[in-house]
Amino acid sequence: MDVNNTLQGFNTMAATFAKDVDQAFWINFWISVILGLSVIIPMFYFAWKYREKNVKDEDIENVTHNTALEIAWTLIPTAMLMVLFYYGYTSMQVLRTMPAESESIVVHVEGKKWSWKHTYEANKNGFVHKSKELYVPKDTNIILKMTAPLNDVIHAYFVPAFRMKEDVVPGRVTKQWFHSEKLGTYDVECAEYCGTRHSDMYTKINVIPKAEYEAWFEGNSKVGPGEKEVEKSKGQELYDDNGCAGCHSIDTDATLVGPSLKGIGAKHDATYLKDAIVTPDKDVPEGFTAGVMPPFALPDADVDALVDYMTTGK
Amino acid sequence: MSKSYFDETHTAIGHPKSTFMQWMLTVDHKRIGLMYAAVMFTFFFVAVATAFLMRLELFAPGAQFIDGDTFNQAFTLHGVIMIFLFIVPGVPAVLGNIVMPLMIGAKDVSFPRLNWFTFWLYILGCIVALASLFTDAGFADTGWTFYAPYSLTTSTNVIFTLVAAFILGMASILTGLNFLVTIHRLRAPGMTFFKMPLFVWGIYATAWIQLLATPVVGITLILAILEKYFGIGIFDPAKGGDPVLFEHLFWIYSHPAVYLMILPAFGIMSEIIPTFSRREIFGYRTIALSSASIAGIGYLVWGHHLYTSGMADTAKVIFSFLTFFVAIPTGIKFYDWVATMYKGKIILSTPMLWALGTIITFTIGGLTGVTIAMIGVDIHLQDTYYTVAHFHYAMLGGVVFLFFAGLHYWFPLVSGKMYNETHAKIAFYLQFVGFNLLWFPMFIAGYYGMPRRYFDYLPEFQIYHQVSFFGAVIFITGLIYMFVVFFKGWRNGKPSGTNPWNATTLEWHMPSSPPPLENHSKVPYVDFNPYEYHHGEPVVKFDYETMKRID
Repeated sequence: MDVNNTLQGFNTMAATFAKDVDQAFWINFWISVILGLSVIIPMFYFAWKYREKNVKDEDIENVTHNTALEIAWTLIPTAMLMVLFYYGYTSMQVLRTMPAESESIVVHVEGKKWSWKHTYEANKNGFVHKSKELYVPKDTNIILKMTAPLNDVIHAYFVPAFRMKEDVVPGRVTKQWFHSEKLGTYDVECAEYCGTRHSDMYTKINVIPKAEYEAWFEGNSKVGPGEKEVEKSKGQELYDDNGCAGCHSIDTDATLVGPSLKGIGAKHDATYLKDAIVTPDKDVPEGFTAGVMPPFALPDADVDALVDYMTTGK
Repeated sequence: MSKSYFDETHTAIGHPKSTFMQWMLTVDHKRIGLMYAAVMFTFFFVAVATAFLMRLELFAPGAQFIDGDTFNQAFTLHGVIMIFLFIVPGVPAVLGNIVMPLMIGAKDVSFPRLNWFTFWLYILGCIVALASLFTDAGFADTGWTFYAPYSLTTSTNVIFTLVAAFILGMASILTGLNFLVTIHRLRAPGMTFFKMPLFVWGIYATAWIQLLATPVVGITLILAILEKYFGIGIFDPAKGGDPVLFEHLFWIYSHPAVYLMILPAFGIMSEIIPTFSRREIFGYRTIALSSASIAGIGYLVWGHHLYTSGMADTAKVIFSFLTFFVAIPTGIKFYDWVATMYKGKIILSTPMLWALGTIITFTIGGLTGVTIAMIGVDIHLQDTYYTVAHFHYAMLGGVVFLFFAGLHYWFPLVSGKMYNETHAKIAFYLQFVGFNLLWFPMFIAGYYGMPRRYFDYLPEFQIYHQVSFFGAVIFITGLIYMFVVFFKGWRNGKPSGTNPWNATTLEWHMPSSPPPLENHSKVPYVDFNPYEYHHGEPVVKFDYETMKRID
């Protein structure tokens, strides 16, 4: 897996609300330091001042109450905690108050074991962009509508540089939004444990200039902006779209989750391979477990195209 | 020499001659507590070894010597053992069993046979929990939280672990019930609730949580089993269920469970601080009532585990607000403990060192919990190493550290002998330093976005993982050192006498050391407060034959 993600942009406050979250974090940090030291400093001081050698038995005093002090150490921390609750609330408000869809770009996110897919609304030509990485224009509200296939598990779309995260739940559509003022490439990590390749489930958010985005969005390119379009066979497109590469390598012999498909045509005939896609548990290769791969209910023509791609590379 | 509980015992069935069978069938609360300790700490070391395996794997990015699936099973095994087999039964099963009846002047718990049965139910639970290690499908890889639908679809053996959690939950309920009845019915005459030692208060508050919250996890697990084997759609969206419902039900139990772990540990702190300050505790009633209020509010805050689950924003605000109210009684306890040291005479014996060390580590663990009670901040920190560091500071640096403090404190009571204090202190310092080195870097890694349960990570995080690793080495060295000190103390330690710490509570007023089978010679009349000192000496003195006051 190409883990060339670098946590880029963590300190640049790329998303508009990142500074609100950080402000809340640092207010919390300093209040915590004050509260923590209000316990720990007296503890060290008393342990030193009333150390065994220093105290005569007759000087010990049983102080058991001090109303003023007790009220103080109840009310002052309570007030401080209410300040923290407030900042927790306000920083949530900026994260969770969605902008109007009419003033935003809506992108549909699908998380499945173990890849991300971004699907855009149709452009003027009726063309629908689909991409692994997310491409968005600078200075624009982006709303992510996220879900996972019904037979999949929970994931979470976590963008550390933006300080945002929300679970991606099968059978539900969850939302989050952002507005980035800085160009750049930002990591997306899966933060809800989802199995074997949970820690490989990365993608990226590319914030690009508006003009570049517009040009790409209104075009019919099947790859991201600035990338050179490579002619893909229908089978290869299906292979990418269905996230097959998340579990099966095809260019190398590496076993990811399922077996490698390199040279699979020499080992199995087309009927076996079709069954392996539509009803994977029918004949599980040795060393692999039934139930790991979900059945893929695709039209026959698509299954044929996939098998062609697997056996011939086209 | 008078006979101690090591020499004779009551048994559940018959009158076995062999020492081994006498232990297996014993109904004596002290022996049962010791057996819990032996089993629990064996598992504890298995879970520590599993954790060390993970740290070794995480020393560098990429795969070192285990694969992702094994890693996932490793953190599940670590979590399941530490939570269900170790820390949930934890302090109540060991120290609650051994010390609580002594503290209230009882001869045993109310239902000694039930106590015996509960222990074996616990053993059954342990066996079922770990049996799947030896099945074909292998140990669960779901994490100890068993989130649906992953737990319903994984090919590993989840069902054994779920059934085990159910059995262990039953054992927990029965322990809680037994302790509740014991505390209500068997207190020595004169001992009103506000004359009980604070450890008993901690056990009492915990027992209510065990009794009332644990059934929820039982219900949840039964629903999961119905779903998996009978196809009823409850949590699995493919069958029309809702996975977030599982998260709610799971945390309705598992959040109060956190307080079930910490409250008896706080009780240990409340015993140790006055004893080694040689004076009466500050704010007795506040500490007692704050335990009760933590137990109460603890039921209403589970939603703070679900800030990023897709739950309604209004619900998040309510849960966040309530969560801050758990922090307040907890904070008050800490001020009370520190105030107890004021104008006392601080004796830095090993139990006191552990207690004071915990004031530092739990303060960090508690306050970083406040960070993630703040909704907006938690949205960033949820499911990162920050959260992992927080709960290890609170659970290991809070519950387990205080458990260790308690083990050092009551070791002479249980064994009649004293360990080597110098070596015990070295073990404390090793663990304290190792602990902080192990977990503090994770706060930073988590803040920068290192997600938890990651087998592989970005190279940027390597430095934090490596510092953690060296911390783990120091910590585990100290841990082993500590158990060697205990072991040597048990074998060759000097006789401790009945009250080596000059403590005041009833468990230190035994006719002999170690205590006899049925504890105090006579039931004492309690017309005094638990921590009465005058000029650094315990006020209340007994004639241990008649248990009449002679002061």
